[in-house]
Order: sequence, then C-alpha cells, then structure tokens
Amino acid sequence: MSDKLGFTIDGKECEADKGRSILEAAADNGVYIPHLCFMKKLRPVGSCRVCTIKANGRNAAACTTPLADGMVIENNTDELNDLRRAIIEMLFAEGNHFCPSCERSGSCELQALAYRLNIMAPRFPYMFPLRKLDATHKSIFIDGNRCIQCGRCVRAASELDGKEILGFIGRGGKVRVKASSTRGLAGVDISPNDECVKACPVGSIIVKETAYRVPIGQRQYDATPIGADVESGKA
Amino acid sequence: MMKKVTIHPVTRVEGHGKVTIAIDEDGHVERTRLHIVEFRGFERFVQGRPYWEAPVVVQRLCGICPVSHHLAAAKACDVIVGVGPDGLSPTAEKMRRLMHYGQMLQSHALHFYHLCSPDLLFGFDSDVTKRSVLAVAAEYPELAVRGVLLRKYGQELIQATAGKKIHGTGAIPGGINKHLTVTERDHFLKDIDQMIAWSVASVELVKKVHSKNPAFFDSFGSFPSNHLSLVRKDGALDFYHGNIVAVDKDGNKILDQVDYANYLDYIGEAVRSWSYMKFPFIKSLGKANGWYRVGPLARLNTCDFIPSELAQKEFEIFRAYTGGKPNNFSLHYHWARMIEMLHSAEVIKSLLNDPDLMAGELVRTGKKVNEGVGLIEAPRGTLFHHYRINEQDQITMCNLIVSTTNNNDPMNKAVEVTAKQFLEGREVTEGLLNHIEVAIRAYDPCLSCATHALGQMALDVELVDAAGRRISRLTRGV
Amino acid sequence: MPKPKIATCSLAGCFGCHMSVLDIDERILKLAELVEFDKSPINDIKNFTGECLVGLIEGGCCNSENVEVLRSFRKNCKILISVGECAIMGGLPSMRNGIPLKECLDEAYLNGPSVVDGQIPNDPELPLILDRVYPCHEVVKIDYFLPGCPPRADLIWNALVALLTGQPADLPYEVIKYD
Repeated sequence: MSDKLGFTIDGKECEADKGRSILEAAADNGVYIPHLCFMKKLRPVGSCRVCTIKANGRNAAACTTPLADGMVIENNTDELNDLRRAIIEMLFAEGNHFCPSCERSGSCELQALAYRLNIMAPRFPYMFPLRKLDATHKSIFIDGNRCIQCGRCVRAASELDGKEILGFIGRGGKVRVKASSTRGLAGVDISPNDECVKACPVGSIIVKETAYRVPIGQRQYDATPIGADVESGKA
Repeated sequence: MMKKVTIHPVTRVEGHGKVTIAIDEDGHVERTRLHIVEFRGFERFVQGRPYWEAPVVVQRLCGICPVSHHLAAAKACDVIVGVGPDGLSPTAEKMRRLMHYGQMLQSHALHFYHLCSPDLLFGFDSDVTKRSVLAVAAEYPELAVRGVLLRKYGQELIQATAGKKIHGTGAIPGGINKHLTVTERDHFLKDIDQMIAWSVASVELVKKVHSKNPAFFDSFGSFPSNHLSLVRKDGALDFYHGNIVAVDKDGNKILDQVDYANYLDYIGEAVRSWSYMKFPFIKSLGKANGWYRVGPLARLNTCDFIPSELAQKEFEIFRAYTGGKPNNFSLHYHWARMIEMLHSAEVIKSLLNDPDLMAGELVRTGKKVNEGVGLIEAPRGTLFHHYRINEQDQITMCNLIVSTTNNNDPMNKAVEVTAKQFLEGREVTEGLLNHIEVAIRAYDPCLSCATHALGQMALDVELVDAAGRRISRLTRGV
Repeated sequence: MPKPKIATCSLAGCFGCHMSVLDIDERILKLAELVEFDKSPINDIKNFTGECLVGLIEGGCCNSENVEVLRSFRKNCKILISVGECAIMGGLPSMRNGIPLKECLDEAYLNGPSVVDGQIPNDPELPLILDRVYPCHEVVKIDYFLPGCPPRADLIWNALVALLTGQPADLPYEVIKYD
C-alpha cells in the first residue's frame, strides 16, 4: 500500500497514487480544481494560478505541487473561488474578449470558467489594449486580442509537435505569443492538426474558415459546465 | 422671432433620433429635420477582422432585425467563398429563408402591435400614458396577446434556425450550420394555421382603422416618391433574393431587374452636416430627385404579384385602391406591412412541409474571390452589405447601406409634410407633436441600424427666439 | 401601495436587450401587474415622472448624450442594472476603442464607396462623440449586471422577479452566457 497516498479535499477522504500532482490526484477522485494553463500531456508550469488551493493551510498551485501523504486540501471555498474569479476577471479586462462575436464562444475555457465561477462583470477597469492579428498563414491565424498568455501552445509545439515554432516575446504586461519567424506564422511549419493549435483554450489560435460550424446550444459548454466531466468520472 | 420645436427622443421607434422644427413669426414651418444622433463606426472597426466574422459581428448593428444583417453579410460571404447567391445547397437556402421569413413575421408583428397599435387604436393625440403596448394590453387584451404570440412564433423560428432568438450564428459562408429537427418542425406546424389566421385578422384590422377616416389616413404625411426594392426574376415579391427594381411615383421603371452586384453603378449616398445617417439616391436622377422609399410599401409598389394565395388576394385589393399605380400614402405602410406578414406566415407553412430542411448538404465551397456584395429585403427595406478582403482573409473594406438609411429622405419629407399639415399657425401641443412621430413611425425606422446605432426619442419642445434664448418649454411627461 | 416603477433606456446599444425583455412573451402581462413602466422607448413617457425602483440600461456610452441620460437614470432610479455586454463592457461598439475616432468618421462619411461629395456631420444638434466607448459602471455606480448579447429573456425575467419580490434569484447555468 506504500504507493498510495491518503488525503482530504474539502473534508472528503481520498486516495491517490504517489507521484501525482494535487490537481491530478483530485481529478482521480472526481474532484475538479479549476485550471487554465494546465493541460494533460503537457509539463505543468503553474503560471496562471487559477488552480490555487490551500494545502495544509498554505496557498499552492495544484498543478505543480506534488501530493503528500495526509495532506489536508481546501478547494471549493469562498476565499479561493474569489481569488480565482479575480484572476479570470483580470484576464477579461486586460485583453479584448468580445464573446458575442468570437468563434470560440461556447467552447472557450476562459469563458466557461467565468460561467462556472458565476462572474457577472469584472471588478477591474477594461484596458482595451491594442493587439495584433497574425493572419499571414493560409490556414491558421493568431488573434492577439484573445490571447491569455497561458503558454499552452508554446509548450505543446515544443513538447508534443517537436517544433520550436512558437514562443513568448516581451516582458510583464507586454508579453506576447509569436511565431518564430520574421514573416510571422507564414514563415513557420504549422498545420491545423498540430497539437499546438488544439492546445489553445480560447479563440486565439484558430483554424481559418471553420468558424461557427457548431450550432449554438450544441457547443462544448452550452449545457454543461467546465469540469463536469471530471466530477462525473468521465474525464 | 423664430421658434424652434424639438422632439427628443422620438419614442416607439427603434433608434436614437430627434426632430427639430423651426417656425417663423407668422407661424409657418420654415425648416424640419430628423437628426440621427448616433454613430458607431462599424465600417472601420471590422477592418482587419477575418471575413467570416462579419455575419456575426455586423448583426450587432440591430437587435430588432439582426437576421437581416446576418444573412446579408452571409450572402456577401457566399460570393467571397465562390458559392455565389445561386450556388447554395437547397437545404442551406431553405433554412436561411425560414430564418428570414420567421424574422419578417416577428418584426412586422412587433412594429404593428407593440409600437404602432397605440396610435391607431387610441388616436394620435390620446393621453400619453395610454400610448404603450401595456395600455393596449389593458384595453384590448386579445389584440396584445395576438401580437405577443405572433412575435414569439417568429422568434422561436429564428432560434430553431440560428441557435438563438437574437444574434444567432446559423448562416455561415457558403451555407448553414444545422438542419431542422423533426421535433422542431412538428412544433411549428402545430401552430402555423393559427399564425396565418391571426395575420389575416391583422390585415383586416388595418383596413378597419383605415375605413373609419380614409381621407385623413390617405393624406397623413403623404407625398409622391420613387420606390425601390429587390424583386424576384419573374416579378414576384421575395424577401430573400432578387434583382433591384425601382419605379417612379407613377409606376414607370427607373431600374429594371439590375444585378445588385453592381449597386455602386446605380446608388450613391449624400452626406448632410446635421445627421449621422446618410442620404441614398439613384445616381441617374441625382441627389435632389433620386431619393426613394424602401420597405413594405415600396415592395408592394415594385413587385407584380405575391407568390402565396391569401396574400395575393390582399395584394390585389391593395393595388386596386390606387388604380394599379404605386401607392404613395405614408400610413399605408401599415397595410402593406400586414399583407407581408400574412405572406411570411404562408411561406413559412410551405417551407415547413419541405423535407430539404431535415436533411441534405449544409455547406458548399468554391473558388475564393476578394470581394462580395450581399443584398436582402429586411423588414424595413433593402439592405446592402459589401466587403472586400485581402489575401489573408481580412476585411479591408466594409460598406453598409441599411434599410432605414434608404428611407432617410422620405422620413424627413414625412416630418416636413406632417409639420406643415398640423403645426402651421397652431399652438404646439404634445398631441400634435406625436403626429410627427406617427409619420416617422410608419416607416418602422430602425435608426439603430441606420447609424449602426439604436434607441428612442423623449419629447422636449423648446421655443427659442432668434438669438437662441429659450422663451418657453414643453416637456412630454405626465 | 402604488406599484414600483421601472424605467429603461438604450444608450450605445442595438436594442437587442430591449427585444430580449419583450422575449419574456406572455409574461410581459405579468410584469405589467408587478410594475408600472416609466420613461422607456416602448412608451411615450419621455421624462421621469418620479423616483423609479429599477432602471434597466442597455448599451455603453459613446457620446455626450449617453452620459447625460445615464446620469439622469442614476439620479432617478434606486437600482441601476447594466443589461447586456454593451452596458457591461462596451460590447462590439467598443471595438473602435483604440482606433482614432477620425478614422471611423472618415471611413463612413468620406471614404465609403457609395459616398458622393462626403463631409463629416458636425451640426450643433448632434451630440459630441466620445474618444472611446465606456462601460456604464465607469461613468456611474451600477448595482447589478446581467450579461449576454443579449441576456437571455429568462435571465432578465428571473432577475426582475427576484428584485421585485425580494426572493433569491433562480439562475440556472443555461441562462448566464456572454454571447
């Protein structure tokens, strides 16, 4: 039994394999911890902080913190949910997220988290930044307006596609995802089936001319909240 | 001393507008203007966006007839993706038609029952507190419920075809994104005969209102004008597709079945300093004489027949009223609108019985080009969408001539005629000012669309002297 | 006990939110039992007749007049609700934020392919256009927000009934959407 660890989440007694992160261990037990920059198959980086939980009373990112035996974890509390709400609201306020016309609306993880956390309006002032669109490639474009700098595409390109084609430039609030070519996306080897394209949680990396094919009402999160698959054990 | 009368905002229309009327010392109406005060800038801010977003972005010009913008933009995109206006699959075209005719039904019902019926039922200068659909509901509950349920039916059709009642996503470049399910079809078939019966009753109601005082009704805010709309190749009324036809006040053809792809050869837009709404005109006739009316009245003046049984019967009565010549009576917009509502209900019924809605190809593609024009007959009249794109699929130019914009000159004309009819030499009262609004309302103006905006009008009348100093003021309120 | 009053307005919106209010369909008659409509585009009451309990705001602020109207609503309504994405964040009209206003005007009134002898409208009767579109809560205090483009009719209905009856709002997952 030494390879199983016992722990509690919000008072629920759980058990998971050694070597799992808190986020994975929780999912093994049907508990969903909201997250954005984490993605199965990718190295966790703990950059978005949406998955912040309390482990033994201290805040930690669930995606990068290994589970320890006997851990007491708090997840679904007012304090943590409000912290998560604040992060999501900041992301909405600092980009240009026009859900009404966005082709990812209904299947967007950022939006779905906001739905799950019951966000009616952000508490922060909208910044309306000037962002660029890279439409140079014949079948894929990157819309900077909708990018949340989670880095999933950058990691997926490198770790899964084995291509160093996407990276971050800039610092702080000016950090941007860019194609590693002076000609933009047109200058790199990228195709619609690449993992880095599928990794985008929002409407930033889009395969051209595939918009609005799924009718409203049948999109990923129209009827069921994000995380419902984990909670029902289907994930 | 010059008096200035301002009506602001104009209410029970869809849009932000205000009216100013200058009256000279002898009580003569010197000058009238309908100012559209909203500006959005859609033409510029869609530049750089991928073209396939246009049908979804640009429909946010208007929440009342979003389907018109959605489909006009989609038709322009059909051209861009090389499918063209005649290349859609039968399923896609019929689903779009169902969406569009459903919208015609809801928009016409909304306009007549929710916005205009208080004027027609209670009188143009009735108590201000009575002039709302809720007052209609209190006194004529059956009528109000009829209006609500007609609109609901149309809205539900839109939801079934576009995914949601307002600002849906059904039409995509080259087609549509869903079929109609059998459950949905049966739901609509269950009630369609009731909708047709109510539409017949609506036409009768307009005729009844008219018969009480035909002379007043015919003369109110009326003037001769040109009329323009899309007409099907065989001369039939068609809201979804056709060629441009324009006739003069006597019915002579000015434009006869011209291809709308070349609209720039025929249509220009003037700009005046006092309105954000432009003033379209037929180029060959020039700015002064080339203006025209669009919408229900214009459509019934330009088409030769209506391709559905009951509406055709009513159309014949309508045509006979003016001896086969175009009808230039402004308030007859209401009559024409209800005949169109009846036609929409009949078309919906025939579409619902078509198996193509339930199965078949949804989207087609062709050889891409960098420019597309899409026109459609919106509830309020002919709507033009025109886009150019670059090699990277981004919009580089967007030109929109919205239905209500086409009616800009006519609405200004209607304000002028009505002001001269009712305000000349009289003490200005709130009730008289409502007459001006009644004239504007007949056009069912969607001022939101027109300036790529939306809203209302309150009443604030100022009498000012030549120096602009306020002498007295009348505000609408209780 | 007089019925509470409700007022509505459309600033830089598209009227879709007002249409969504009408999409409560037959329930509009129930609403008429609960409240009395004051200043609103759907009637002819053009100025407030007294204090309103609720003001529903559609649209953001894109010109000086929108700001004036919004301030008068704040003054005359106990509770203000931002209805829809435009009121909440400027909506699609705020896609012009970051583009110089002059470019927007030039495109519509000078460069449009169908424009003949263009000019920029500038009559004193026209309100001044603001440098950008502002969300309503950046102009006055807003008490509640109903998201959506437009908000679903059921969301508007449930929220209004909750407010008018003092019951907690029942908001199922399906009714809160941003599109």
